[in-house]
Amino acid sequence: MRIAITGIGAVSAIGMNCAEMLQSLLNERSGIGRMNQLGSVHTELPVGEVPYSDAELRNIAGVSGEPMPRTSLLGLIAAREALAMADRTCDAFISGTTVGGMDLTEQHWYEYAGGKATENIHLHEAGESTNAIAKHLGNFGFIATPSTACSSALNAIMLGANLLRTGQARAALVGGAESLSMFHLNGFNTLMILDHQPCRPFDAGRNGLNLGEGAGYIVIESEEEAVARGATILGYIGGCANTCDAYHQTASSADGEGAFRAMQGAIQMAGLQPADIDYVNAHGTATLNNDLSESAALLRLFGNRMPSVSSTKAFTGHTTSASGGIEAVVCLLAMQHGFVPANLNWSNTAEGLIVPTTCTTKQHLKHVLCNAFGFGGNESSLLLSAEGIDLPTAEYTLGLTAFCQAAITDDSEVSRYISAAEGRRMTPQTRRIVVAARQVMEESGITMPDAIVCATQWGCMLQSMRFLQDMLDTDEQQLKPTPFIQSTHNTIASMIAIMTGNHGYNSTYAQGRQSYECAMADISAQMSLGLIRSALVLEFDEQVEVWDRVLATIGDKTHAIARATLFVKKD
Amino acid sequence: MEQLIEQLKSQIIEALNFEDMTPADIDTDAPLFGEGLGLDSIDALELIMLMDREYGIKLADPKAGKAIFQSVRTMAEYIQANRTK
Repeated sequence: MRIAITGIGAVSAIGMNCAEMLQSLLNERSGIGRMNQLGSVHTELPVGEVPYSDAELRNIAGVSGEPMPRTSLLGLIAAREALAMADRTCDAFISGTTVGGMDLTEQHWYEYAGGKATENIHLHEAGESTNAIAKHLGNFGFIATPSTACSSALNAIMLGANLLRTGQARAALVGGAESLSMFHLNGFNTLMILDHQPCRPFDAGRNGLNLGEGAGYIVIESEEEAVARGATILGYIGGCANTCDAYHQTASSADGEGAFRAMQGAIQMAGLQPADIDYVNAHGTATLNNDLSESAALLRLFGNRMPSVSSTKAFTGHTTSASGGIEAVVCLLAMQHGFVPANLNWSNTAEGLIVPTTCTTKQHLKHVLCNAFGFGGNESSLLLSAEGIDLPTAEYTLGLTAFCQAAITDDSEVSRYISAAEGRRMTPQTRRIVVAARQVMEESGITMPDAIVCATQWGCMLQSMRFLQDMLDTDEQQLKPTPFIQSTHNTIASMIAIMTGNHGYNSTYAQGRQSYECAMADISAQMSLGLIRSALVLEFDEQVEVWDRVLATIGDKTHAIARATLFVKKD
Repeated sequence: MEQLIEQLKSQIIEALNFEDMTPADIDTDAPLFGEGLGLDSIDALELIMLMDREYGIKLADPKAGKAIFQSVRTMAEYIQANRTK
């Protein structure tokens, strides 16, 4: 099957649609500047904001009445553009995010904590922020929210491609959305990786990233169907790969192992060679660590035949979970109009760094790679092509056997499976899921499953709530980094990969109570396609007193679970 | 100085969640990173935050922590010389 792209839509600091973004890219107009919309005290930090208030965005998106997170407003505007361009309906909507409705939670926290019941509370869920977009767009048979931090949107695109290849979807709207929040601005600030000047990707003097916001989606369908209905084909998905760096919760390895494997995997899936790649839209956040690690991976893969490389983060800021969607759209615009986008703000190289393309350069682009890497070493790479690339298909089969399962509800075996040093930063429920994972891997003898996928409704709520309350109670001062690092939904799956050195497929779904079904759809598709033979599925949610008190106001509560199941392919 | 060292050890144990340790378990002159306590880059950020919170010392550059956090003693000496509270 050739997977055609027939619609694109994007919103970011450099434009409210693809046409505006294209003009900004061609004119080298950055969207990074002073904070005007986000209500943080840290106005010293430059950001890539979409230059409209929530109320203005509601007008633009045509939303009235119901509360809606900024993430969903940005997502809705971009998704509508993609669907309108494709001029068709989709049966799957897959949208990555991590922030979800955190913006509403932080604005209304004291009302929530004071016992004021409001329907906003449920919008905290990443999956609900996706549902809020979906209900304005029509009926989708399948909705999923991958949440692997900054690689979320690329993992959404990858799942969409796999659903098409296994006949589970005919057309999919895939990408991601993320608004700025005080929560993650402060979180990145505790990691001391935010530049107080506009970011300088791959420059010797770079000193961190600027956060941005936005959304980016593409519509994918089979070439056959696109041709039959006379649609304009904007490009093709040639390949994609998701790997885990399995090195550190927030830092990338010095040799860029995960990034190397992701790019190599995408090229191999397309049946191409590194020399076939014309351009790489790098993750290029401009942190000291990312750019050096990604350069190491690029140098390992391409050697002295380096294609054009640029990071467009100096235009948009780092749009975190949305970055893969926005940058895939940037790549498609670049392919359509024959140019390499500029890597702005670059002036000097240093040992170990690649040299990027620093100004808008005319170039015919046939095959391009788009990278997105996330916390926990969740690395993904997408190969986009101007020409159709045949990808194998498979009949979808639920050919799974639950080989081994463990559900842990107490701490009796924690000391057997986790050393004191390993466990010192984990919450009690995190220790239980680690015990469950280690137990099933030990009992099944499958110590290195091909995939690790976590399903969670609320994510890592204990650390999230700690960070949120500290942030609000201290007026954003003197925050501890550890709760932030462990607040992302993908903490559990990536932590287990790091503990076991597993470089395989690694993902997390946060689709409310359908998260487990999403995880199963993902691994079933991959098993049907022969991409994996074994998968460790982790179901995780933790009971958090303060959040349960909030949920009680709307008659709900959290359901604690720490269950690991190892699935193997049935022959 | 000895009093500051003891206080600092307790604060390190709490900030870095070494639940089963007591100040007596930490050697004042042993390296904090690598061997010794085996701390990592996240711990370095926590120690920077600890100095800000408890002693009013702000480090803008995380790399500056390397020399300061060689051992509990070097950290205590730096705090003694630079504390604002």
